[in-house]
Amino acid sequence: MSRAPVRNGAAPRRPGDEDDICPVCKSSRYLNPSMRFLVNPECYHKMCESCVDRIFSHGPAPCPVAGCARTLRKARFRRQTFEDLHIEREVDIRRRVAGVFNKREEEFESLRDWNNYLEEVENLTWNLLQGVEVKETEKKLDAYRRQNEAEIKQNAALESQEIADSEAQFAAQKEQARLRREAARNEELDERREKEEGRREIIDMMAKGDGDADAIARESQKVILKKSTARRTAAEKSRQQAAAKVDNGAAAAPLFSIQGLKRIPQSVPEKEYDPFGGYAIKPAYYYLRDHYEHSWLDNARSDAQITAGGYDVGEYCARAIMEASGGLGVFIEDEIEGREKRVEKEVGTASAAIASGGGGEGVDGDVL
Amino acid sequence: MAVSPVVTYDTTSNIKVTATKAKSLAVRTNSVSNPRNGSLPEPGKGQELAERLNDETKQRYVKDKKLGEGTYAIVYLGHLRADPSSLLAIKKIKVNTEYRDGLSMDAIREVKYLQELSHPNIIALHAVFSSKNQNLNLVLEYLPLGDLEMLIKDSEGIRYGTAEVKAWMGMLGRAVWFCHENFVLHRDIKPNNLLIAADGEVKLADFGLARSFSDPYRPMTYQVITRWYRPPELLFGARFYSGAVDVWSMGTVFAELILRSPFLAGNTDVHQLELICNTIGTPTEENWPGVSKLEGFLKYDKAATIPVRGREFYLSRFGTAGPVGVDLLMSMLALDPRKRCTARQVLEHKWWSSDPRPTAKEDLPKKGGGPERMGEDLKRKGGEIEGGRGDNVARKLNFGLAKS
Repeated sequence: MSRAPVRNGAAPRRPGDEDDICPVCKSSRYLNPSMRFLVNPECYHKMCESCVDRIFSHGPAPCPVAGCARTLRKARFRRQTFEDLHIEREVDIRRRVAGVFNKREEEFESLRDWNNYLEEVENLTWNLLQGVEVKETEKKLDAYRRQNEAEIKQNAALESQEIADSEAQFAAQKEQARLRREAARNEELDERREKEEGRREIIDMMAKGDGDADAIARESQKVILKKSTARRTAAEKSRQQAAAKVDNGAAAAPLFSIQGLKRIPQSVPEKEYDPFGGYAIKPAYYYLRDHYEHSWLDNARSDAQITAGGYDVGEYCARAIMEASGGLGVFIEDEIEGREKRVEKEVGTASAAIASGGGGEGVDGDVL
Repeated sequence: MAVSPVVTYDTTSNIKVTATKAKSLAVRTNSVSNPRNGSLPEPGKGQELAERLNDETKQRYVKDKKLGEGTYAIVYLGHLRADPSSLLAIKKIKVNTEYRDGLSMDAIREVKYLQELSHPNIIALHAVFSSKNQNLNLVLEYLPLGDLEMLIKDSEGIRYGTAEVKAWMGMLGRAVWFCHENFVLHRDIKPNNLLIAADGEVKLADFGLARSFSDPYRPMTYQVITRWYRPPELLFGARFYSGAVDVWSMGTVFAELILRSPFLAGNTDVHQLELICNTIGTPTEENWPGVSKLEGFLKYDKAATIPVRGREFYLSRFGTAGPVGVDLLMSMLALDPRKRCTARQVLEHKWWSSDPRPTAKEDLPKKGGGPERMGEDLKRKGGEIEGGRGDNVARKLNFGLAKS
């Protein structure tokens, strides 16, 4: 976008201010250096601020531009964003349409549906832009708005949330970068200071004059090296901590959103706690009676020495019947047969098949 | 024991399995996995089939480092030869001086009942084999997160509430219920026999004192269950009892979980009875018909009789469990074993469906007990309290080597 060069002494220019003569009152910038131009999105005719005050202060009035005569209100006058008023108008219309048709891609089942929807919206927008069937288009827009009010609101909220999120994330990243820079600067300063100190110490020691100069230099060099490594590890640690802190902050506030997640997580109702852990033990081959008559058991039922300890004849009966029917449902022949079949496959000889099949003729007869 | 016709319906996955059958078959396939397949080095043609099978089983496991050693057993960390990332505990039972001519009863019991029981809340026995000198080796599930006793005792580091207690009790309840449903009495339920798996699941271990429900007129020993968790009928020397003994132990564990200290910690059997009388109530012919006929019944002074405590007493001491939880605790600690609820009734209690909901096992508090703790837990013999927490226990053992 080309901007008019800022003139000396004047306020910084905004797009639309480079005209020097107001098309309505014909007053020029020469007479009024602080002249500003305003437009109304109703017709986008440009006029100066004093004209707007003069004409529209007492309520709605027709546009003063010849051949326009649209009724304009003062409240809607504003400064233009774009230099080209056609673009200004297009952006306004697009914004309005997008505010109503604010469906999101994830609401559509397929990409094709989404594209079809976009095409339809673009058609409407184009009609409005080009002034084709404006009335019908406006009607459609209005009808859609009324039908889908709740949805539109929800999506608008989502969008503003997303914008806020990304802004917050951006701010967090910036903050992190600043901290990093600061840490690096501090580190550098520390290092320089320590080096300086080390050098001074060497000089001091040499000045005192006890010991070999070379040895002192070597020793101090070691000390400096040690110090600097210690400092470096500490700095590394603090850097990691800072990073972790920022990360945690990001996790606490919804600073970033992961793509591809469902907006409203469906809360799965918790399954009812089963004290039996999914197990249910039932006898499969018999049922248990409450009482089994047997003279042998009578004493065990009546003797206080036996019953007072909690001994329960019923439990014995249950176990006895369970053991008596033990093995039901276990078919050893089938198991052996299954095993032999496996072996057969492995061996794969005809004789083995006949031997274990119990006579091939019978099988043939069944088939025929 | 015969293969059980008791069928387990896994209601979640619709799979119909006979629990005990599946297990016994699994064990069988373990040992006879590939008898015709000569891929393993032939360990001598002259060997008997049993020896060959044993060697095959032995070949499949590798012992790593020693986790703990007691006079009864040594526990090793181990893994499958085929898969070094698998973790197992191998419990090697020492040839005991008491049983020079055979195996100790504890080992036999443990193998016998663990082989039958396959349940997520019961420690799994993967295989059994004998190594040189006829030592018996049990290949057990590896449970690295210590036991419940550790969590109870660490009142500084570990905090838990009713939801956690409910989750643990639920897992214990399921384990005991499954044992009883398969007619097995555990007879040594206590917090340090409740080991914790890596995912937080509590598993009942140490079946060294287990036995199946007895036949009528076949007396059982009353010298079982660690004293603090022993029910009054065993203290009175009852020789005929039922699953109610395990339910009493569950009740005391429940109380211990809430109090975070042993509920009835008696120094001697008589002291234990005294504690029960004082805390729960004196057993009399009225509240426990026939109790005076028991062999070891001790006569009390009629005047000193303490009536069975009412609901208010339990509410004041175990109020955190809530009124419904207190009801459950009271029914588990009924003096008369016939009035005590059964393991099934425990699980059917409405406490499980009342608030709060039990914590998910992944969210339960953990304290990395480490493999060493598992070693400590597994090497123990049944019925004993660890040194320092009480002397003169059911069976005293020398832990000289253990504390190294």
